Amino acid sequence: MNNVVLSSNRSSLQQRGDEKREQEALLPAVDIIEESNALKLVADMPGVTHETLKVELDNNVLSLEGEIALDIAKGLSALHAEVRGQRFARRFRLSHEVDSDAITATIVNGVLTLTLPKKDSHRTRRIEVQAA
Amino acid sequence: MFDDLKRFETGSPQQFDWLRQLLDGFFSDGNVMDIRAVPRGSFPMINIARSDDTVRVYVFAAGLAPSDLTIDVQDNVLTLRGKREPVMGSNEDGSSRPVFRRERASGEFVRSIALPDGLDAERAEARHAHGVFEIVLPKREELKPRRIDVQAA
Repeated sequence: MNNVVLSSNRSSLQQRGDEKREQEALLPAVDIIEESNALKLVADMPGVTHETLKVELDNNVLSLEGEIALDIAKGLSALHAEVRGQRFARRFRLSHEVDSDAITATIVNGVLTLTLPKKDSHRTRRIEVQAA
Repeated sequence: MFDDLKRFETGSPQQFDWLRQLLDGFFSDGNVMDIRAVPRGSFPMINIARSDDTVRVYVFAAGLAPSDLTIDVQDNVLTLRGKREPVMGSNEDGSSRPVFRRERASGEFVRSIALPDGLDAERAEARHAHGVFEIVLPKREELKPRRIDVQAA
């Protein structure tokens, strides 16, 4: 059972054995794209739900954390495990132009989409070249 | 003076893929590799678990809706097919945007994985929640564990 992604309702005995493993979070794959008024971050976090997702901003460091919440039947033993862990985590340092109060996050089918809007003063402006 | 060049003659280009080999060495059991094994991190990732009466396959396919994944079982080989659209990297006017990272797999994918023998694919079921598909394949009746009563002599 330990190797099959672990459901949240485990016995305390198992939990003790898993403490070390829990430290090692999986690194979610991300796409990061610059848009004219925002940065867009898309992260794969399959099995993470709205309830188990934690997005935090501390001192300009953005941390994404999500518990894989699978409803796994009891009495299973692992035959093959590519996902070895039950938690995704990744952290990013933000640049000063991100308007931290305006960050929005949604998670749909295990894909987290974060929009990090830029402060007004930092938005793209096209500069017209004047004819001489 | 050409001695140094000798090391370039031996072996296949694979030897330069030392990191991959190193990683595979850590994570595979010994040096024998399953014929259908894929490099770590292939999309979608798959876990397989077994209970007394079923084999359950978990497919970690973030971003796929239930209708986006085709699941086939033939001769104990499970095949998953699907497509995931890339995140748009262009503006409304068609000009492209700077992309800093593109780690997420996109486009069409096909993955096959061997299942244990003795499964009843006819009665298989699949569920989907939060980007994870669970495929439940019941074992055939004759393979389920059973208790044997000892007859009185």
